[in-house]
Amino acid sequence: MSQLWKIAYRDLLRSRRRSLLTLLAMVIGVTLLIFMSALYKGVFDGSLKMAIQLQTSHLQVRAESYDADQVSLLWQDLLSDPAGLTRQIEAIPGVQAAAPVLWANGLVLSGEESVGVTVNGVEVQSPLLDPIRQAVVAGTMPAPDDRSGVLIGARLAELLDLHVGDTVVLVVSTSNQTTDQAPFTIRGLYDTGVGQYDEVNVYLPLAKAQAFTQVGERASAIRVLLDDRENAEAFAAAFRAPGLTVLTWRDLNRLILDSVDASLVFTNLLNLIVLGMVAVVIANTLLMSVFERTREMGILAALGMKAHQIMGMFLLEAAMLGAAGVAGGLLVGGSIVYYYSKVGLEFPQAIIESKASNMITYGRLLYTSFAPEQAFMLTLLALVIVLVVAVYPAWFAARLEPVQALHGK
Amino acid sequence: MAVIEVENVTKVYKIGAQETHALRGVTVSFEKGEFTALVGPSGSGKTTLLQIIGCLDKPTSGVVRIQGQDVTRLNANGRAELRKKLIGFVFQFFALIPGLTAYENVEMPLLLNGEKPAARRERVKYLLEAVGLGDRMNHRPDQLSGGEQQRVAVARALAARPLVVLADEPTANLDTANGQQIMEIMQRLNRETGVTFLFATHDPRVVAHARRVVQLRDGKLVEENGAVLAADRREAAPAH
Repeated sequence: MSQLWKIAYRDLLRSRRRSLLTLLAMVIGVTLLIFMSALYKGVFDGSLKMAIQLQTSHLQVRAESYDADQVSLLWQDLLSDPAGLTRQIEAIPGVQAAAPVLWANGLVLSGEESVGVTVNGVEVQSPLLDPIRQAVVAGTMPAPDDRSGVLIGARLAELLDLHVGDTVVLVVSTSNQTTDQAPFTIRGLYDTGVGQYDEVNVYLPLAKAQAFTQVGERASAIRVLLDDRENAEAFAAAFRAPGLTVLTWRDLNRLILDSVDASLVFTNLLNLIVLGMVAVVIANTLLMSVFERTREMGILAALGMKAHQIMGMFLLEAAMLGAAGVAGGLLVGGSIVYYYSKVGLEFPQAIIESKASNMITYGRLLYTSFAPEQAFMLTLLALVIVLVVAVYPAWFAARLEPVQALHGK
Repeated sequence: MAVIEVENVTKVYKIGAQETHALRGVTVSFEKGEFTALVGPSGSGKTTLLQIIGCLDKPTSGVVRIQGQDVTRLNANGRAELRKKLIGFVFQFFALIPGLTAYENVEMPLLLNGEKPAARRERVKYLLEAVGLGDRMNHRPDQLSGGEQQRVAVARALAARPLVVLADEPTANLDTANGQQIMEIMQRLNRETGVTFLFATHDPRVVAHARRVVQLRDGKLVEENGAVLAADRREAAPAH
């Protein structure tokens, strides 16, 4: 067997150009597979992270009857003592931050224009608001006791041609199922990079939002950030109490998580196409190699090489090419993935938004995220496919009759 | 003692409905250490006989024994094993593996026989020096002249210490000087190693080197060392 290795290795070396071209095909194929899997994982991980930061947090404690789709403001659907509950939750080890939030449907009116929005009444100093605070691109966040200030998305401002210091009229639903309206001064603009989010979310200090919507001191939910999101289920179980619902980030981001599963079919199809292309190139190269080396097979047969050894030699050549291609692909693909995981990949916003559903929120940059399990499976699959496609050329070479092969037939 | 015995061997090639009789009942044997020329015009069956003796092909009927073993009963693997251990080939078109150096070409049969690296090195160097190519070991076939390539082929044929070397028109693609040199090398190695050499040729200058000459015509053995064989005499005699 070691002799066959040596002969196969020697053959690869002497056919440098052919070997290098095949290797290149393998490296490109494996690099593509690794990059695509990392890009998909990056997009979904990033999207999930963004959704958690901007919308869902790791846990949400709500009144059992709260209807998120209706953005209910009925008293019985809201938490009656959100401040007290927040203090209790914050005291639990493993909780990074907790803060009440009040959601209401609203409209921003500016001149003749109006845009439907979600009004977020928030504790503006809470760490939960860090992502929004960091996204402020003009002006500032309203202060907690600001009774007439609002923070709106830069995208919304652009749509309505608004600037910091301008006044808009905000119309909101109230708890008694009527609407109220008041003028607000734009204190700041934020830009998360998720255009469709920035367009429809405005922020008010919680106290003002509570007063505006006439809910007293009530809140829609308490958003909770944990030290480790994987513990969300355990915390949720601990927080559950009569009259309360506790939802985890998994429950709240079901659409994204389901999209990951649904997109698997698509990504697997793409992977298969790439693998198929690699397989065709390898099969073609090996078959060409057999045709080119027919006489050589005859010589080797004359020297006493047996059919199974000739077959083994070709399979070993394919295995060596495959292993080197996989290693090269892992190296190149891994390096590219690492680079873009740090630097990010810039896509035109229009493309990102055209691909985004309401729930799947991409930032301005897409960061790749190495998917070790998938990379392992894909490279293993690539190696197996190379060996499988090598069987036919190898078998073809092995069944050549020595006399005919010597004459190149 | 005969190391190769060929008994009543026939070979019929079928191409569609047409049959071509390449060998028509050849019986001949070769002793150890012989240096024999197999002569005859093109199409007389020389190459076919060499291929059958060399276990590259099977006869349609008849028996071939090498060291007493009936090789016509062997399967493909058995024939390959026998070629590896007992037979060396020299072909008309040199048949070196392109891309491998002279050293690596000669080393190939030793690799297939599983010889250890040190033994391989020693053997390859000895043989390449024996054929006068001690200074060309690392040259590839395309860097060697035709005569040099054929000398590498002779060295390779002897690498695995075979019982017999079969050479098919070994000088056909060489000029006179190189052809002469190849024959002298084969002759010397035959003397020094005691390996049986059987070579097909129709070149009278090559035949002159042979100690024994066997002639084929139309697939039959017709003459040996100038003596017309009995069967051929009968065929040649006028009808009574």
